[in-house]
Amino acid sequence: MPHQCTSCGRTFPDGSKEMLSGCPDCGGNKFQFKPAGATDDVPADDAGRASGSSPADDATDRRPSAPADATPSDQAESTPNDQAEPTPSEQVGSTPSDADAPTESDGTEQIADRSDEDTAQASARSEVVSPDELDRASREVDAAEPSQLADEETQPGIDALRDELNDQFESIRIVSPGQYELNLMELYDRQEYIISLQEDGRYVIEMPDAWGIQDE
Amino acid sequence: MGLLTNLRDSISRVTDGLFADDEPKRIGIYGPPNAGKTTLANRIARDWTGDAVGPESHIPHETRRARRKENVEIERNGRKVTIDIVDTPGVTTKVDYKEFLDHDMEKDDAVRRSREATEGVAEAMHWLREDVDGVIYVLDSTTDPFTQVNTMLIGIIESQDLPALILANKTDLEGSDVQQIANAFPQHETIPLSALEGDNMDEVYTKIAEYFG
Repeated sequence: MPHQCTSCGRTFPDGSKEMLSGCPDCGGNKFQFKPAGATDDVPADDAGRASGSSPADDATDRRPSAPADATPSDQAESTPNDQAEPTPSEQVGSTPSDADAPTESDGTEQIADRSDEDTAQASARSEVVSPDELDRASREVDAAEPSQLADEETQPGIDALRDELNDQFESIRIVSPGQYELNLMELYDRQEYIISLQEDGRYVIEMPDAWGIQDE
Repeated sequence: MGLLTNLRDSISRVTDGLFADDEPKRIGIYGPPNAGKTTLANRIARDWTGDAVGPESHIPHETRRARRKENVEIERNGRKVTIDIVDTPGVTTKVDYKEFLDHDMEKDDAVRRSREATEGVAEAMHWLREDVDGVIYVLDSTTDPFTQVNTMLIGIIESQDLPALILANKTDLEGSDVQQIANAFPQHETIPLSALEGDNMDEVYTKIAEYFG
């Protein structure tokens, strides 16, 4: 099976819409994807080696012959290399636009995805979700996400954000009353000017005038 | 006739003042605390205007607000250079009231001085960004110049393309090492002086006229 829930191990057929709102059994939202070309039991790497190609050639050789096997992430890695030197005919076939400019690489990758994706992926992207699936999806997301996010991601996220904000905005850190640490670059860079510090840690600042703000 | 001449002269003076491109340059005196910035500012102001800029002290952070002395006219080699001197609070990355307790200060006063000193650093950095045309950077030649603050400030001054004169102060003290400062900032000229004793002030004025005139 191409998709497997990493929490409970439940598998889903390729392109299943059930898993779009989390695993119906355990609420897990992480799934591993096994390409259809790989057998259910053998990992993709082993399958590649079994075909006789060397590990180094593996990544580049398999894709042109079996485009359905490639995952989007694999393609993202391979397209810059693949499209850097292909013959003109290949380029026209896979990508209508040329891939010279680095900025266009994203576009060409998307086009390649579209032509190479299998039918299940195409249906998952293009078909309209039915109302009952939508209902179920919203219920399950509500039930599953808050608990997981609160436990795993939200707490560290807030701490990291606080650190980041301190780094970004703190020009004067009050260690304790009468003890200060100053970020000179921040004080120099900021347009507004700190006139006085209050006992409670507040600043009185002088804002640049309206013309100054508009100029920025 | 006399009245008309006077009137014409007055108008001429006013328009000259309005459109002169040699307006007094605002020169900030920067450096770490206790380098002798106010002593130097007072020395310059007294020598050329007869007034002082502010009180000097051996206690760090005596200057907690930037003080300005305007229209200091320095005459050098028959040429006059007019500058505004801005004596700024010593720049530092840490202010701790405890260092003032050693100077017989009550805790409340020390905490207040610390807060004011911090505000002063913020003000000095703001002036550096907005309001100075040149910098006199004063260092105590008896202390190690390789500090984060000195490197950062000199870097900012250079990035602003401000003319900067580095002064190695306190040459009257034992342990003064001017060469160490010259080595720390080889891209700038280092002038030794004792602002307290008035040693080598002639060269300082010559360089001020040269750099900021």
